[in-house]
Amino acid sequence: MKTNMPLSKPIRRFISETERMLDTEITLLRKPDAAPGGTLVDVYTYNIDKNIIIFPANYIGLLKDFVIAKQCTHLFIKGAAAKKSGYKICSFTSDSVYTGMRQIYLDALKDEVKKEKKLPVKKLLEMLFILYRQFHEDINELPWNPIVNARVYYRMPQLRKTQLYILLKDGKQDMDEMEDMMDIVPRRYFVLDKSMFYARDLYLSKTLPSDKLTPVVNIPQMKKFDHLEVKEMLTTRWTHTAWYQSKVFGDNMLTIMEKHLNVDWSGDATLDYYATLYETGVSLTNALLAFMSMKDWFIWEKPKHLLAAQEQMAIYEQDALKKIFGDLIEDT
Amino acid sequence: MPISDVALLQKRAGLYIRQTKCREALLLLDQAIRLDPKDATSWYLRASAKIEMERFAEAVADCEQAIAINQNYADAWSKKGLALYNLGQYQPALVAATRAVSLNANDASAWYIRGICLEEMGKSDEAEIAYAKSLELEIILDIKDESKRIRK
Repeated sequence: MKTNMPLSKPIRRFISETERMLDTEITLLRKPDAAPGGTLVDVYTYNIDKNIIIFPANYIGLLKDFVIAKQCTHLFIKGAAAKKSGYKICSFTSDSVYTGMRQIYLDALKDEVKKEKKLPVKKLLEMLFILYRQFHEDINELPWNPIVNARVYYRMPQLRKTQLYILLKDGKQDMDEMEDMMDIVPRRYFVLDKSMFYARDLYLSKTLPSDKLTPVVNIPQMKKFDHLEVKEMLTTRWTHTAWYQSKVFGDNMLTIMEKHLNVDWSGDATLDYYATLYETGVSLTNALLAFMSMKDWFIWEKPKHLLAAQEQMAIYEQDALKKIFGDLIEDT
Repeated sequence: MPISDVALLQKRAGLYIRQTKCREALLLLDQAIRLDPKDATSWYLRASAKIEMERFAEAVADCEQAIAINQNYADAWSKKGLALYNLGQYQPALVAATRAVSLNANDASAWYIRGICLEEMGKSDEAEIAYAKSLELEIILDIKDESKRIRK
C-alpha cells in the first residue's frame, strides 16, 4: 500500500489483505475534483501496473475510509473473478448498439404521439444514444452497489454510521438524476431507471436495518430523520414520491434482487468467497436486463473489449442511426 | 523582499500545497521563514508541505516552531498530531490531537487523528467517541460543500 495518509485500523488491515490475496498493489490518491463516491482505476480493467483508489480531497476521516472500503471491496470482487473464472463486464458492439437504440426509438415514437410538445428531431436522435449509454453505465454499476454495500456493512461495522450518510446522499443524487430529462426521455426508460435505484434503496434498507442514525441525527440538516432507522428513512423517501410507476416496477426489481442476492454477507475473505460475489453480481445483472427486456443490448466481454468499443462509440452510433433511418440520415 | 510580502508567499504556497505541488511550496516557505522567522503560519504551512512529502520528523520540528511562537495555534497542533501518527508515535500524537480539539472543537481531522491513535492504543470505546465527533463535523462540511456546488 502506498500512502502517507492516516487510516483507521480496519481499513488498513483490509487493504493489506486485499493486496496479499490478489498479489497486487493499491495506491490511494486524494484529489480535489474526485467523484464523491471515489473512483477505482484497476489492473483488471485498464492496462496499468497498480490499482489506484481516488477519493475527494475534502474527505479526511471516516468518509474517506468508507469510500476506500467500498472501492477496495469492488477491487477484491474483480480480482477474485479474474483469478478464478475470468473477469468480464457488460460491453457493446455495433449490433447491440443498434438493437438498443432501435428499441428506444420505437418506444419514443409511442410517447411522442401522446405529447403536446413534440421533441425536435435532432434532439430525439441525440437522445437515443445518450439513453443507451446511460443504461450501459447504470447496468455496469448498479447491481454491484448493493453487493459492495452489504459486504462492507457486515465486514466493517465501524463504518456503519458513515455508510448510512453516504447511502442517504447517493440515494438522493440518483433520484435527482434524469429529473430534468423527464419530459424528454420516453416514460418507460425514466421509470426503469428510477426503479433500479428504488429497488437498490429498498434492498439495502432491508439488508442493513439495524443501525440508528446517531450521530447523523445530531446534524441540524438531518433532524427530520430523527427516530428513524435506515429502513424507514429510505422507504419514507420513496413512498412520498409521485413516481408510482417507478414503485410498481421497483417492487418487482426488489423481488429479483432478493432472489439473486441470497448470500452470506459475513463470509470469510477468501478468493472463492469474492468470486462467488462476482457470480452473484453477474446473475443479478442478467436478471435485471431480462426484466427490462434489454437482454440483447449488451454483451459480457473482457474489459479490453469495452475499452475498444468505447473508442468506436461515435461510429457505432452513426451506424445504428443509418440502419434505423436509412437515407434520411446524412453522414457527419 | 519586504516582510509584508510574507503573506503573499504564504498564500501562493498554500495554493501549491492544495495542488500537491509541495516542492514549489517549500521554496516559497523557506523564503518566507527567512524573511520573518517569527511568523507561525509559515512554519505551519511548511510542516503541511513536508507531511505531503512524507518528511514527517521535519514536519514535527516545524510544527514545534509554530507552536513555540503561538501556543494556541490549533492547526499546528493538529498537524503535529498527524505527523507524529505517521511516525508511529501514537501517545504523543494523541496528546497533540487532544490539544488541537481543545483549542478548536470543530477540527474534524484532529478528532479523526485522536480516534485512530486511541484505536492503536487499544482504547476502542474512546476511539468510537472521537470517530463519531469527527464524522459529525465531516458530514456538516460535506453538506455545506454540496450546497455550494448546487448553488453554482
